[in-house]
Amino acid sequence: MTTNLITAFTEAFSPYTIILLLAGTGAGILIGAMPGLSVNMGIALLYPLTFAFDGVTGIIMLLGVYCGAIYGGSISAILLKTPGTPASAATTLDGYPMANQMGQPGRALGLSTMASTFGGVFSAVCLMIFAPQLAKVALSFSKPEYFALALFGISIITSVSSGSVLKGVIGGLVGLFIATIGVDAMTGSMRFTFKSTYLLGGISFIPILIGLFAFSQVLLSVEEEYGQKHEHKKVKIHRVLPTASDIKRVFGTMLRSSVIGTFIGCIPGTGGDISSFISYDQAKKWSKYKDNFGKGEPQGIVACEAGNNSVSGGAMIPMLTLGIPGDGATAILLGALMVQGIAPGPLLFQNSPVQVYTIFIGLLMANLVMGLFGFSLIRIFAQVINVPKKILIPIIFLMTFVGTYSYNHSMIDVYVMVGFGFLGYFLNKMEFSMSSVILGIILGSTAEQNFSGSLMMSGGSFSIFVTHPICLIFLLISFVSLLSPVLGPAVKRIFRREKASKQN
Amino acid sequence: MKNLKALGLLLAVSTMMVTTSVNVMAAYPENDIEVIVPKGAGGGTDTSTRGLLTYMEKNLDGASFNVTNNSDGGGITGMLLTAGADTDGYTLGAVTVELDMFCFQDKTELTYEAFDTIAMPIGAPAALIVQADAPYNTIDEFVEYCKENNVQVGNSGSGAIWDIATYLFEEEYEVETTHIPYPNGTADIAAALTGGHIDATMADPSSFMTQIEAGTLKCLGVMAAERSKLLPEVPTFTEEGHDLVIRAWAALVAPAGTDEEVLETLRESAKAALESEECQDYFMSQGIEPLTYVGEEAAQIIADDYEMYKEIFETYDFSEE
Repeated sequence: MTTNLITAFTEAFSPYTIILLLAGTGAGILIGAMPGLSVNMGIALLYPLTFAFDGVTGIIMLLGVYCGAIYGGSISAILLKTPGTPASAATTLDGYPMANQMGQPGRALGLSTMASTFGGVFSAVCLMIFAPQLAKVALSFSKPEYFALALFGISIITSVSSGSVLKGVIGGLVGLFIATIGVDAMTGSMRFTFKSTYLLGGISFIPILIGLFAFSQVLLSVEEEYGQKHEHKKVKIHRVLPTASDIKRVFGTMLRSSVIGTFIGCIPGTGGDISSFISYDQAKKWSKYKDNFGKGEPQGIVACEAGNNSVSGGAMIPMLTLGIPGDGATAILLGALMVQGIAPGPLLFQNSPVQVYTIFIGLLMANLVMGLFGFSLIRIFAQVINVPKKILIPIIFLMTFVGTYSYNHSMIDVYVMVGFGFLGYFLNKMEFSMSSVILGIILGSTAEQNFSGSLMMSGGSFSIFVTHPICLIFLLISFVSLLSPVLGPAVKRIFRREKASKQN
Repeated sequence: MKNLKALGLLLAVSTMMVTTSVNVMAAYPENDIEVIVPKGAGGGTDTSTRGLLTYMEKNLDGASFNVTNNSDGGGITGMLLTAGADTDGYTLGAVTVELDMFCFQDKTELTYEAFDTIAMPIGAPAALIVQADAPYNTIDEFVEYCKENNVQVGNSGSGAIWDIATYLFEEEYEVETTHIPYPNGTADIAAALTGGHIDATMADPSSFMTQIEAGTLKCLGVMAAERSKLLPEVPTFTEEGHDLVIRAWAALVAPAGTDEEVLETLRESAKAALESEECQDYFMSQGIEPLTYVGEEAAQIIADDYEMYKEIFETYDFSEE
C-alpha cells in the first residue's frame, strides 16, 4: 500500500503531469464558461491527445478538463446570468444578483470558487475513502428509486421560484410538457413530432437553456438600456478571498451541499444539474436567511457550486469500481483508461492499485489547481462587469448563436434557441421562474420513463413504490417539499397557538 | 480548315479537362474532409468512427478529418445531412444499424441506397448476459427457466435493436419474458443487471466486459455468425442450432454518386487502417471487436439487415406492450 502510494505520488507530481493538468484545467474553465461548449465536447476533443502519453498522465489532463468545466460554468452564470453549463443554471439565482444588483462580482466569484474547490476536494476524498460503499448505493437504485429521486427534484420548483408558488408550478409544467416531445423510448411511439425529423429526438436541452437564460437576458437588457444615458460606474474588486464572516455563514451549507453532490454524483445518470438544484433547495430550507435567497444570498451561491462540483468525485465511483459510466464525460474517461490498458471495474483496485491512487491524487490536484486558477483570475473575470453594456450585450448576443450552433452543428437548434429566447423574455416579464421550467425539462423524462418502467417491472402494480424503502423515503420527502410553502405557515400557526395556550 | 481549328480547340480543351481532373484525383484529399457522426460523443459509433479515421489519417497522405457530432432526431438528421451532401468526397458520414430500421418505423424515407459504403469498423452482436450466480449456465437452461419464471430482460428502448433481439429470441424458443427498457443505453442496463434489478439482457457485451471479467456477470451465448474475439469461450446461438444473428453496426459512408476513384482511395485507406495491428489493439482496448469489412462486403451486410428488419417490422407491432 505505502509503496503503491509513493509510486502514485511520484507519477502524479512529475512536472510533465503538472503541466498537462494546468493546461487541461485552464481549457476546462474556458470551455465551461462558454455556453454551448459542453464538458463532454471538451473531453472528447482532448481525448485523442491521451494516446500520446503513457499511463494515467493523459487521464489526469482530462480530469482537469472535467473539473474545470463544471466550475467554469459558474463564471458566466454569475457575471452574465448565462449558465455556461446546465450544472450552473441554479447559480444564476443568487450569483447574478450579488454580482450586479449588489455590485460585488469579486465576492460572488470568490464564494463560488471556494465552494467549487471545497466540493471537488470533498468528493475526491470521499472517492478515496468510501468508493466501495458508495458503489453499493449506486447499484441499489432501480427504476422506482430513480423515479422518486426525479420527483423529488421536480418538487423543488416551489422553492426555486422565489415569487408565486403557482407560477413556479406552471413553469414546471411547461418544462414537463417540453420533455414529452419526441419518441417515447419506453413504447417507441411518437409524441408531438408532427412528422418533423428534428423533433423525433426531442428538443435539445442546450439551445433551450441558452435561449431561456442568455437570449432572453439580452432582450431584457436592450430594453432596459435603450435610451438610457450610460453612467460609467466602475466596480472595484477589493478582495477575492471570501471574508471570515462569509465563510462562517456558508460553511455548513458548503458541507451539506458537498455531501448531496457526492451522493447524487455516484448514482449513474444523474449529474451536476440536479444536484445543484437540490443543494440550493436544501440550503434554503435550512437557512436562517430564507428571505434573502434569490437576492444575492452567499449561501445560495455556495450551495449550487459545492453541489455541482462535488459530483465529479461521486461520478468517478461507479465508473472506477463498476466500470459503469454515469454520463457522457465519464464514458469518455472510461475509454481513455481502457486505451492505457487499465480496465475499470471490480478488479481495478487489485490489478492496477498504483494507477487508482494516481487517479485519486490527480482528481484532488485537479480541484486544487482549479481553485488556484479561479482565485488568481477572478480580478480579470470580474472586469466583465465593467465592460459597457453597449459593447457587452452585442457580444453575448453573438455568443448565443455561436454557442448554440457549435453544440450540435444544427441550424434548427439556433431557431429553437431564438424561439425560447422570446418565450423566456415574456416569462421573465410575467415573473415566471426560468429555473422551474429548466427543472421540468431536465427531470421530466427521467421521472416519466422510470415511472412507466417501474410499472413494467411490477406488472402494473403500484405497490412497487411503497415496498422499496429508498423510493418511499424520497416520495415522502418530495410531498413534504412540494407542499412546504402551503404547509409551512399552517404548521407555524398551530405551534404558535399551542404556545399561546400553554402560556394561558 | 475551320472545322479543323474547332476540332483542335476541342481537343485542347478536353485534354486540359482530363489533365485537370487527373490532377484533382491525384491530389485527393487536398482539403479537410468533414465527417458527420449521427450520435453523441463517447458512444460506440463515435468511438469506432473516430478510431478508424485516426488510423486512416496515418496512411492517407494529406488527409485530415473533421468529425462533427449531430445526434438530432435520434441520428436521422446526421444521416440525412450526409445523404444530401456534395458528392465531391469532402463530406462523409457514419450510418448506424438504425438506418435499416427507421424507414420501417415511419421516421424517415431514407434508406441505405442513399449512400456508397466505405468501411464497417464495428458490428457488435447481441449477447445473452445474466448474473454469475444465476442457476442457469447454458442457453437451454436459461430457456427452461424462462418457461417457469417471470424473467425480466433489459433493453435500450422499445423497438430498438436489443429489444428486437429479445423478440427474436422469444420467437425462436417459444418463451415469453418481460421487456424492461433502459432508454439511456447499455451502461444503465449494466448497472441494473449488476444490481440485481433485472434477470438478463441481450445486448452489446462491451459495456458488460468488466463485470464479466470480475465474475459478477456471465455471458451464455452470442447472437453472431462467429464467436466473438472478446468472448472466445462463449458459444454462438448458431452453434446451438438456432440461427439468430443480431449486430449493431456502424459504417463509414459517402453520399451516393461519389466518384468511384475517391471511394477506392478511401476504401484502400480504411482497409489498411483496419488491418493494422495498432488499430486492432485500439479497438480491443475499447471493448469493441474490430471488423475489417470494406466496400462491397460492408454494403452486403447493410442490405441483408435491411431485408431482415423489413420482415421483422412487418411481423411485429412494437407499440403494443
